[in-house]
Amino acid sequence: MINLQPYQNPTYFVLLAVALLPLAIGLLYGKRFKVYEMIVSFAFLLLTFGGVKLNEGLALLGYVIFETLLVCGYHAYRKKQNSGYVFVLAVVLAIAPLLIFKLTPFVTGKPSILGFLGISYLTFKVVGTVMETRDGMIKELKWYHVLHFLLFFPTISSGPIDRYRRFRKDYEKVPSREKYLELLGKGVWNIFLGFFYKFILAYAFGTLILPVVSKYALGHGGISWWLVAYMYVYAMDLFFDFAGYSLFAVGISYIMGVETPVNFNKPFISKNIKEFWNRWHMSLSFWFRDYIYMRFVFFIMKNKLMKNRVHIASVGYLLLFLIMGFWHGLTWYYIVYGLYHACAIILCDAWLRFKKKHKDKLPHNKFTECLAIFVTFNVVCFSFLIFSGFLDTLFFAK
Amino acid sequence: MKKELFKIFGPLICAFLLLGIFLGLPLFNRGKISKEKMREISYSQSTNIFKGRYVKNQAFSGKYVPFFGSSELSRLDALHPSILAEKYHRNYQPFLLGNAGSQSLAHFYSMQPVNSALHGKKAVFIISPQWFVKDGTNAEAFSLYYSNLEGVNWILNSKDSRATRYAASRLLAMPTGSSDELMKMALKKKEKGKPLGKTLRWYLEYRRNALENEDHLFSMFKLNDRTQKVDRAMKKLPERYSVGKLDAVATKLGENATGNNPFDVSKKFWNKRLKGSYKELKGKQADYDYTQSPEFADFQLVLQQFKDNNMDVMFIIPPVNRKWMEYTGLSQKMLDRFDKKIIYQLHSQGFNNICDMTNVKEEPYFMQDTIHLGWRGWLAADTYISPFMASKFEAPHYKMNDMFYSKGWQNLSGSGIDDLK
Repeated sequence: MINLQPYQNPTYFVLLAVALLPLAIGLLYGKRFKVYEMIVSFAFLLLTFGGVKLNEGLALLGYVIFETLLVCGYHAYRKKQNSGYVFVLAVVLAIAPLLIFKLTPFVTGKPSILGFLGISYLTFKVVGTVMETRDGMIKELKWYHVLHFLLFFPTISSGPIDRYRRFRKDYEKVPSREKYLELLGKGVWNIFLGFFYKFILAYAFGTLILPVVSKYALGHGGISWWLVAYMYVYAMDLFFDFAGYSLFAVGISYIMGVETPVNFNKPFISKNIKEFWNRWHMSLSFWFRDYIYMRFVFFIMKNKLMKNRVHIASVGYLLLFLIMGFWHGLTWYYIVYGLYHACAIILCDAWLRFKKKHKDKLPHNKFTECLAIFVTFNVVCFSFLIFSGFLDTLFFAK
Repeated sequence: MKKELFKIFGPLICAFLLLGIFLGLPLFNRGKISKEKMREISYSQSTNIFKGRYVKNQAFSGKYVPFFGSSELSRLDALHPSILAEKYHRNYQPFLLGNAGSQSLAHFYSMQPVNSALHGKKAVFIISPQWFVKDGTNAEAFSLYYSNLEGVNWILNSKDSRATRYAASRLLAMPTGSSDELMKMALKKKEKGKPLGKTLRWYLEYRRNALENEDHLFSMFKLNDRTQKVDRAMKKLPERYSVGKLDAVATKLGENATGNNPFDVSKKFWNKRLKGSYKELKGKQADYDYTQSPEFADFQLVLQQFKDNNMDVMFIIPPVNRKWMEYTGLSQKMLDRFDKKIIYQLHSQGFNNICDMTNVKEEPYFMQDTIHLGWRGWLAADTYISPFMASKFEAPHYKMNDMFYSKGWQNLSGSGIDDLK
């Protein structure tokens, strides 16, 4: 059986276009063919998780059954009672498969058989749903809705991370013809911009230039201009590859009449690191903001564990970015990447406070804005150099 | 609604239509390539040229003669066959085909788009013993030298036979061979000896057209211009051809280029490739085996194609650097067996122009490095090549034997080879 990874090659897109055509026509006439959509989703999941990847497919199946039971179980419990311990237990259980998958290689030395493409992104969706259930925000919850939300195939492999309530609301209503035409236009535009990003720019940076730069940087050894070049080329590759992918996922969602949140909003024009995180991998950083940072801050304030607001925020940032670092993987450079961003954002906050106090004395003009963008861009690119693991190869590999 | 839909999809449809016309119609022909350009290309060893049709087709229709080989072809010292041919205005000029990693299967497919131009031509084929390892050609290296243009031409033109079925199965085993779903389908039919069917044939013909347009447009990109190097090298040669004088030049060049290592390997190669690691390589090649390999069957495909194209071919088997061999423990007995096996495959089918150098005595400056011919080695090869090229073309009589595709032949080793007559 053939196996195609999402958005891998022209064949995948041709199949998508053919499969989505009836759906698009239906939506234009105010109808959502739910059964047909289910069949298409199943077929595309099979395409990605069948054939040679069948072991991943089975892992995915086991995973979604477990998580759906968990979410539904917790929702049923939450209707009657609301114990903090049960909530914590539910979150721990929700994360457990991901933890097992990530930790197995360290314990046994072999990759876990539990894993499949997209496990971390599904875990984000599940945990978010559990937390909103705890808050009492999710009133209605059906097992097949949870399943559908988790298995929405355009975003299954790498996000963007949607929210249960938002997704349900979108799916329940059929957009007006006017609205849908707008979505269709945006969808097609996104997909073609994605082609440009992923198959031209990311290919040029990642496949053509990066190996050359890498070779010279390794050949020179230590710190060199080649290393600086590597940093920028890697940053460009990372952005265009992931932004391209995200554009596909969002574009396909739009064509299916679902407004999946966008992931990137011109991140490199950010004037400070805080703004950067509001523009870069947005569905992930908003998830961390809402479900980790905000909850942590409320928890501290409610229990009066710390007084100083600045300190609370700083500890919150450290926590957020450390978790993000660990989530990326258990290597020193992901953790350092997290710490680096935490420090950057704490410094940024301090600077913003300082700026507010001395508003009248600090200049503000086109030049300072450009300088801010330049500095932010370089701070970010350096963080990606850490993230790339290239320093590890350069300094520590034999 | 129509208007809005047209706004969204209109540009898209136009783009696809244009692309279809652009690639599908035989619109592009770069015309005749200039003499200077062709000279540059013949030395460039560019993979795009290797995989293409347009340039090779023109080259082989003229005085250029294909020199099939691999990394040794890039050893462009003054005694290189291309430079000797150019310097002494011979009636032929080598067109270098191949570089590191191009093995029999890649050469077999590379001939497919240009079989008609190769018909009734002479050629030189350099066999590297190092190709004949247990797993045969490396999939990544093959992908570098393979293009769908070759594959499409082969699928459309080949007739069912044991060779065809074997070639199809080999291509299907390579990741690049099945990069296009419909071509994969066609290859599966070829493997089973079934006809293609009208629709598939139509698709493949469209595809060939598109790929040929691409070939015309893009194959001359990124050429490696080595003509200045060639010009400098030619100045070192005596004005009139004389083996004695050339040998003196070769010795002098070899002397100057070596000397910083105990293996008579060129200084450049030593510094770049061996200096750091040679200590770890001592005795490391004792268990190398070139006698059992699918490469023997791949090589048979090449021979079959030479027969089908009615070509007269000289085969060169270069030696291994003696000192290096002794140091790494590479077995002479194993090399002798390899030699016997490959020569049996050639002779028994009527391929009799063989320049076998596996047993050359210890001669200084024969090898440029560990396994590649240089200076005096190239000159020795030239003493075979130049009379072969000067002789009148005689239609060869080959008797092909499909046994050479069998697993039994691929894996024949040890006493099995000793028993060959």
